[in-house]
Amino acid sequence: MSASRDRILAAAKANKPEELPLPEVPLFGGDATAERFTTVLAGIGGTVVWLDGLESLAPTVQQLFPEAQNTASALFRGTVPVDAQTPTGILAAIDLAVLQGEIGVAENGAIWLPEANMLHRALPTITQHLALVLDRRRLVATMHQAYAQLPGTGGYGKFVAGPSKTADIEQSLVIGAHGARSLVVLLY
Amino acid sequence: MSHAIRADKFLLDADRTTWHDETLWFVREKRDRAVYAVPEFQELRELASQIKNHTLSRLDLYLQEFEAAAQANGVHVHWAADAAEHNAIILDIIKKQGATRVVKSKSMLTEECHLNPYLIQHGVEVVDTDLGERIIQFRDEAPSHIVLPAIHLKKEDVGDTFHTHLGTAKGESDPQRLTEAARQHLRSKFVAGEVAISGVNFAIAETGAVVVCTNEGNADLGVNLARVHIAAMGIEKIIPRLTDLGVFTRLLARSATGQPVTTYTSHFAKPAPDKEMHIVIVDNGRTQQLGRPDFRASLKCIRCGACMNTCPVYRRSGGHSYDFTVPGPIGAILSPNIDMKKHASLPFASTLCGSCTDVCPVKIDIHTQLYKWRQVLGEANEIPASKKWGMKFMGRVLASTRVYGLGGQFARRALRLLPHGLTHAPSFNAWAVARELPEAPKQSFREWYAKQPQPAPQPQSQVPA
Ligand code: SF4
Repeated sequence: MSASRDRILAAAKANKPEELPLPEVPLFGGDATAERFTTVLAGIGGTVVWLDGLESLAPTVQQLFPEAQNTASALFRGTVPVDAQTPTGILAAIDLAVLQGEIGVAENGAIWLPEANMLHRALPTITQHLALVLDRRRLVATMHQAYAQLPGTGGYGKFVAGPSKTADIEQSLVIGAHGARSLVVLLY
Repeated sequence: MSHAIRADKFLLDADRTTWHDETLWFVREKRDRAVYAVPEFQELRELASQIKNHTLSRLDLYLQEFEAAAQANGVHVHWAADAAEHNAIILDIIKKQGATRVVKSKSMLTEECHLNPYLIQHGVEVVDTDLGERIIQFRDEAPSHIVLPAIHLKKEDVGDTFHTHLGTAKGESDPQRLTEAARQHLRSKFVAGEVAISGVNFAIAETGAVVVCTNEGNADLGVNLARVHIAAMGIEKIIPRLTDLGVFTRLLARSATGQPVTTYTSHFAKPAPDKEMHIVIVDNGRTQQLGRPDFRASLKCIRCGACMNTCPVYRRSGGHSYDFTVPGPIGAILSPNIDMKKHASLPFASTLCGSCTDVCPVKIDIHTQLYKWRQVLGEANEIPASKKWGMKFMGRVLASTRVYGLGGQFARRALRLLPHGLTHAPSFNAWAVARELPEAPKQSFREWYAKQPQPAPQPQSQVPA
């Protein structure tokens, strides 16, 4: 092991204060309704669209994104097959990705998207538009409840809350910085 | 050069100063609205503070737990004692890849270590991919804020910069169109990036994962397209468990920009198949700060920037006037730890109003620490002579009733009689540079009081039998 490692650990050990307790984090609850989730998501630039059931996924997507040419999805038949080996050039041309979200958080509009649901790790950000399908029964109130329901975060996984955005130019909010330009959550 | 002298430069443009002040206050107000919407916000702050206190009290153990978990995930873990070692480790990884193109997402630690110039000097193309960072990279400037790196610039400035570097139309200043130009430009960089460098917002000891929070998605895009991911983290980024993250993700974005959460909260634990992930754990003065009981709490900082947005001095002096990677109130605590002589004026760049302490999501006693640094600097003789003698003199005056009374009489007369040019001479009285002195009263309160008729004695209260 490196000399720096040992030095840093020794210094941390020598300089740390007396041990203090680690608090338990309560499972803060609250309103976990689809109404609240919808309002919060709208506030951060996303949209909720209701699906009658998973059967109506394909026609709904077609209706929402009539101009999407290159589509990728594990949930309905897209035009581009994507897996972990798909080259960057092909990924970069995708207009729409439709992926399964796992848990929705009502207080901040975030949706948990594990690696297994992404087809390729870069797909949710490189696609021009992103649609996440979510079961309304998987809505929880807070981040605490969401993490409590996760088996783990796996090799890679993320909470996505709305489309990519920036306010780096004079604090004006611009939707669509590097990642997906829009986020639609298809609730069923 | 002291903070005050650099701030003077910023203040030359009065309109811009006012605009800077108002823009940041607007962010502060957004923070307030977001915070009041969470009923348990104060409870979360207390939890965050306790989790961080606990983590610091077992820091060596959590670092080892984190290292073991990360290695079990197939991640290469490196340790860097200082900035030079951090830079050398990163260059070495890039060289081993035979790579020449690096995409970077926002990281204050790599700023602190001056990684960009080092890599460029060694023939590596480094592209900062956060929009604000890219803007200032084009302009060859340092960030002026830790969350809003280009907050000191107006859209016209960005328009000029993009006209020069990206060929946008001259005079174009629409944020939407400028952002679109940057999107196209940076996408080409992402697609070509061989190595991606990111910062770390939180490192979870339990799982060995690093968590990166962004709004633009640039970290995810860069890391997931490149062959190699290098994450640079300070030793203070550790939290014990995944459940602790629930507390911090609820506090961070609300405190920073008033959003309910950042757009992307990404957990990186294992490299994708056939790819590599490296984590560089950096000390660079942090263990030393850990050993200073008065200032150790500054290591709890989660870099939300709330203390800057609320600070009346930061808002009116601009981030560059601090001449340190982290400006504002928290920067004024961190910087003397690194170089006490160079940053001696920063703990004085505060009104000690306590607003920073009020908004800090991890309950760092910022203004108390600023006050304590002033004592330390005073003992170490790092206070400017004019301030020191002034303080000494006032200390004597205030210690004696008689001297105070005489001094008051003298001052009232002097203020009435001395010409304005003398009382406001910048070399004698820096305080009066931008202020008018009050009109001196003819009489002090004490003189007035002595002339008042003595109040009649109060009747004794009746004690019930
Ligand atoms: S000191 Fe507190 S308020 Fe300031 S940046 Fe750090 S966490 Fe935020």
